[in-house]
Formats: sequence, C-alpha cells, structure tokens
Amino acid sequence: MIRFDSVNKYYGDFHVLQNINLEINKGEVVVVIGPSGSGKSTMLRCINRLETISDGELIVNGVKVNDKKTNINELRRNIGMVFQHFNLYPHKTVLQNITLAPTMALNQSKEEAEKTARYYLEKVGIPDKVNSYPSQLSGGQQQRVAIARGLAMKPEIMLFDEPTSALDPEMIGEVLDVMKALAKEGMTMVVVTHEMGFAKEVADRIIFMDHGQILEQGKPADFYANPKEERARLFLSRVLNH
Amino acid sequence: MIDFSILINNLDTYLEGFKNTIFASIIGLVGSFIIGVIVAVMRIAPIKPLNWIGTVYVEFIRNIPLLIIAFFFYVGLPAVGVTLSGFVAGTIALSIYTASFIAEAIRAGIQSVPKGQMEAARSSGLTYVQAMRTIILPQAIKIVIPPIGNQFINLVKNSSILGIIAGLDLMYFGDIVSSHTFVTFDVYIFVALFYLVLTIPLSLGVGYLEKRLARNH
Ligand SMILES: Nc1ncnc2c1ncn2[C@@H]1O[C@H](COP(=O)(O)OP(=O)(O)OP(=O)(O)O)[C@@H](O)[C@H]1O
Ligand SMILES: [Mg+2]
Repeated sequence: MIRFDSVNKYYGDFHVLQNINLEINKGEVVVVIGPSGSGKSTMLRCINRLETISDGELIVNGVKVNDKKTNINELRRNIGMVFQHFNLYPHKTVLQNITLAPTMALNQSKEEAEKTARYYLEKVGIPDKVNSYPSQLSGGQQQRVAIARGLAMKPEIMLFDEPTSALDPEMIGEVLDVMKALAKEGMTMVVVTHEMGFAKEVADRIIFMDHGQILEQGKPADFYANPKEERARLFLSRVLNH
Repeated sequence: MIDFSILINNLDTYLEGFKNTIFASIIGLVGSFIIGVIVAVMRIAPIKPLNWIGTVYVEFIRNIPLLIIAFFFYVGLPAVGVTLSGFVAGTIALSIYTASFIAEAIRAGIQSVPKGQMEAARSSGLTYVQAMRTIILPQAIKIVIPPIGNQFINLVKNSSILGIIAGLDLMYFGDIVSSHTFVTFDVYIFVALFYLVLTIPLSLGVGYLEKRLARNH
C-alpha cells in the first residue's frame, strides 16, 4: 500500500532521508520512533507529498507520488493526516472543520457531509461539540476533532505525526483510545509517536530511525525487550528513564 | 486669529480642489488595492519568476520618493511622446506607490497565518486556490485590514503631491489662493482642515473595523 524504494531526500547539502526502503501493507499499523531530527516527520510527510523526495521511488495506493502526471489532490483525499498541533481551522466550527473537505474535494452534499461528520464525532466521543469553535475545546478534544476530520474523507491510510506530544498528560489517553480503536478496525496507520503503550498494544511493527536512516525494525514486543542496534538501545533507555 | 473670510471668499476654489482630491483618492484607493492584491499574489504564489517580479516591484517602488514617480509620469513620459495631465500623472503615481505598501501588508497577513493551516487544507485534498480562498484569506483579512486602512489614510495625505505637478487638487488650489491673497498661514490651515475632513472618518473607520475584527476571536 505504501512503498519506499531507495528514497533519498536532501535539504541543500543536508541528507535528511538516506536510502529509505520500506513497505507497509494494507491494514498494517506502523509506529515510527527515533531521536529528534532523525527524519521521522519528513518521511511521514513524503507519503502525501507535503515534502518531495530527491530520488528513489515512492508508491502509495499504486500511484507514484512524485510523478508529474499524478493528481496529488486525488491521492491526498485518500490519506488522512493528523498533526502534532491539530491544525484545526480556527475561524470554522467543529462541524465546518469536518465537512469542508468532503463538500469541496469530494462534492458531497451538505446534508451527507454533516451526517458523516456527526457519525465520526460520536465515534471520537464528542458529539456535543458540533457547533463549538476550536478555541473553545481542550487540546484532547481538538485532536479528536482533527482525527474525525481526517476520517470523514473515508481514507484508506491515516498518518499521525506525534499526535499526543502537544497534549497535557491527562488528555493523552483519550486520543490514544480513539487511535487504538481505529487500529483494531483495520485502518492502515503510520504513526510517529513515543507512546510505548500504544505501540505495544496495537502496532504491527516498530521502525527506529536515526540520522535519516531506518536502523532497525521489528515487532514491538521484540524491539522494546531486546533492541539489536546500540543506538536504539541508547534511545530507548533515554526515553524510558526521562 | 484665523481669518475666516479667506475661506468664505475663496470657497469655490477650495471646493474645486477638495473635489479633485476626493477623486484622486478614490481612484488611487481602488487602483492601489487592485495592483496591491496582484503584486501580493505574485509574491507568494508557488511560481518563482512571479515571486521575483513581485519582489522587484515592491522593493523598487516603495524605496523611491513618491514625488519622483509623479515626475516620471508628468515630465518624464512627454519625452517619449506620452503627455498626461497633472491629475492623471499624479493619480497613477499615487496608485503605483501605495500599491507597494498594500502588497506588503497583504503578503505579511497571509504569511502570518500558521503554515499548518495550508498543510491541513492541502493534505485533505483541497487545491491551492481552494485552500487560499476558504482557509488562508479569511484568516489573513483580519490581520490585513488595519494596515491597509492606514495606507489609505496615507494615500489621501500623499495626494497633495498633485499640487506640485498642477494636479488641480486641494494643495494646488491652496497655492493659488495663497498667491492671490498674499496670505500663507491661514490659507494652509484651511487646506489642512479639508484633509482632516477626509482622513478623520477614515481613521475612525479603521479603528472601528479593528475592534470588530478583534471581537470575532
Ligand atoms: N525545510 C527544511 N529545511 C532544512 N532542513 C530541514 C527542513 N525541515 C526539516 N529539516 C531538518 O531535517 C531534519 C529532520 O527533520 P524532521 O522534522 O523530519 O525530524 P523528526 O525526526 O520529525 O524530529 P522531531 O522528533 O523533532 O519532530 C532535522 O535536522 C531538521 O532540522
Ligand atoms: Mg517531527
């Protein structure tokens, strides 16, 4: 469903992604971890072309992401994205946030889009917030709206870039619960997160990145119990003991 | 004491100038806004050559005195066979000059909207134009209105350069009244009052909009 084939990316002279080879199958839940600046966000953002690659090949849903002929808007409609800082539209209500893309990009009727929006708001546990503005919600609620906004496009892939890092500790659980439910329903997910509980419970695979490279990957239980790479071991000990 | 007979005796002259100052201001307002929007879009559109043209326009125009631009149209163009009246030359200069500041205000407003807004909109499959129209511009407008209002106030005041190139505006007729009556101070007091009649309502309007926009968030 997602395939990186010898992908490299440079920012000027800086080699931010180094020979990335990675295949993610339908329904798989992949968690990406690694030190700050290791290229996790960059790799994730290549998948929906928020970042372009310098060379190699990246195929998503059977489409070459960086091909000139690719209709990027069409591809993106099928890939939901959740950001660290939610990025809800502050001038629109919760309902408008969620119905915007379905009505504009998918040409759904207003009624249909609103019905879908209410369904997903129910699902993320805040059906009573339809007419609130983002600024009236807690961080955890905002992030759940952002997830509902992504889901309302009925995408086949969901990308998460540190969805709980900007949240107060007491709100992390409510967001992770929504994500776990999604994972269990078979959504294909790529999640940059350091939440080990989440990874252990629902991830099929952990990917450890450092300095723009994928250094190690494996099943969560194996990886956390017994990382092979020295740098992964070092990183885990720092994350666990902080 | 200010001698009000000067105003009363020359009221027609003053009003003729006042009328032309209003015309020049309105044309300049519309013209500079349209040019400003176009230049701002050129500066931020994801197309490099357009960015360069926009940047050159802004840096070039806003860094030369308005009077020089007016002279270019009034005394420079006749040298190549194009003759414009003082009013037309001055109003064009005013529009072109103010547009560079308006373009900057609009660009700054658009760029002050957090990058994540465009990313969220684009990643949900909206086109660049859709994202601009529904997500970026509505947020930018609140930031942009006060500085644009201030540029409009500057425009009204700057229209006084028409007086130097026989542009038939308030300043020009003020000069005429002054040379007839041999009075300077009082004549220009009344000129200033006419400008205030235009700029104070504008200023209040900007302040009002600023407050209203602050209230919706
Ligand atoms: N637009 C850019 N221009 C130049 N360098 C960049 C740019 N964006 C990111 N980088 C650099 O690329 C590297 C990888 O960044 P990236 O955001 O992918 O890291 P990350 O693993 O997500 O880190 P974090 O955990 O802090 O989010 C960093 O060193 C960063 O400074
Ligand atoms: Mg990151």
